[in-house]
Amino acid sequence: MGSNSQKTVISGYGSAFYQRNFDLHQSTVTLERAVLFLGHQFSQKISFFSELELENAKVEGGVSNNAEISMEQAFLKFNLNAHQYIIAGLFTPRIGILNENHLPVNFNGVERPIVETLIIPATWRELGIGFYGNSEKIPLNYSFAFMNGLEGQNFEHGTGIRGGRAEGNLASANNIAVTAALQYFWKNFKFQVSAYSGGTVTLSPKGSDSLGLNSGAFGTPIYLGEADVQYEQNAWSGKALGTYISYPDAGKMNTVYGNNTATGMYGAYVEIAYNWLFKKSTKASFISFARFEALNMNSSIAANGEGIYDGTEDQTHLIMGFGYLPLPNVVIKADVRLMHTGPQNPALVINPAPNALPYQQNNQFLNLGIGYSF
Amino acid sequence: MQIERRKFLTSACKACMLAGAGFLISDLTACSPSAKVMMLPVSENAVRLPIAAFAKESMQVVHPEGWFYEIAVRKTSMNQYEALLLECTHQQNQLIVNQNGFKCMLHGSQFNLNGLVVKGPAERPLKRFTTSIDQGQVVIQLKS
Repeated sequence: MGSNSQKTVISGYGSAFYQRNFDLHQSTVTLERAVLFLGHQFSQKISFFSELELENAKVEGGVSNNAEISMEQAFLKFNLNAHQYIIAGLFTPRIGILNENHLPVNFNGVERPIVETLIIPATWRELGIGFYGNSEKIPLNYSFAFMNGLEGQNFEHGTGIRGGRAEGNLASANNIAVTAALQYFWKNFKFQVSAYSGGTVTLSPKGSDSLGLNSGAFGTPIYLGEADVQYEQNAWSGKALGTYISYPDAGKMNTVYGNNTATGMYGAYVEIAYNWLFKKSTKASFISFARFEALNMNSSIAANGEGIYDGTEDQTHLIMGFGYLPLPNVVIKADVRLMHTGPQNPALVINPAPNALPYQQNNQFLNLGIGYSF
Repeated sequence: MQIERRKFLTSACKACMLAGAGFLISDLTACSPSAKVMMLPVSENAVRLPIAAFAKESMQVVHPEGWFYEIAVRKTSMNQYEALLLECTHQQNQLIVNQNGFKCMLHGSQFNLNGLVVKGPAERPLKRFTTSIDQGQVVIQLKS
């Protein structure tokens, strides 16, 4: 009891942005995301939740200019009691800050944090079963989930493990993954640690043996560890996150698939923000923020020539800007991003100057955006 | 002599660590808003909890028997009590209590201690119950 037991809810979120790339002298504007939530509460014990996403507005003939229609989530939720529940289906596990809560009104900046895009590949959703709960004794949340594993053959140089997400699309269940997270609330802080471990070879033993790869549930494993802290007090808020990925057998995968995936990757960021309207309004916010991010998608590479170092994957980003929310579900954003990378490795340049413009290690971006949720 | 001194230092360090851990645990649990969920019987569509429960903590979480969702009861001023249903007004998920209010882990909605939306996607405030004082007890009317 406490509410009507049967309900169908339609809601959603979306964002659009303008971006000026000062190095390329290129401007882009796009309807980045339009996401439709559809949820149904069958009873107080069982509910359905889904997110249907259209990225970049238009899909024609199946594929069109980075556009995508996909299910971001679709799962059944079984409430065990007021503190524990099980979910089953396609869901975004609790890894990092953004993956679980990725609405544009709830993060600062037009772009999502780069670390939680290239190192933690948010929004990272897979098929599986998860157990979520919070303690009645202490302010502790916990989660544990089984999911299908990543598809290692689809890792791409330049995007970390992002290309290996199956996202519910005929995923291999030969390899699986486990993930777990703990969150603790203390005064105005929220602490989290999370971890992921899973196999990356989708082939059967026959196929993988002939390629010299270890298959099976956790064959050729990849490990991810993450810790973050968030702080909120009155007008001030801040967050810090660090994550590391270890992929010990990346060299073997590179030999077979030629993806040049690294054995080690890391990312970290810190952000501080201030709401200038905190004392003046209970609904509106004007938040200025600064965020510094550092990441390296090849902090360690396979030995014996099985990996090639690329300085452009060693990056820092400084983002400064503001977000104006006339009410909590609508935001207007503007920021600048100053990017710096290491030098390009000449061995990886296929199309050298003067055919291609010389690589610039420094670049600047201007971003303007809008976002909503309801 | 050296061994005794080493033993003394080791023991002293252990004692300090234990004391520190004890302090830390008590400090951590002291700010545990979800520490005291009180299961209360429902009688005449109301639940009652003693005012004395608010002597040390300004907020109590109660669980009416037979209900799925819990209710946060907060003492706002002398003899004024606010009762809020811990059900997210976006998609009916159960809420988590923290220092600054109530949080939904499903889509990230946040409500302040008064039940007002601080972060979306929720748009409506938390459901509020009528409260009154009767014979040293806070009475929460469940039909309001």
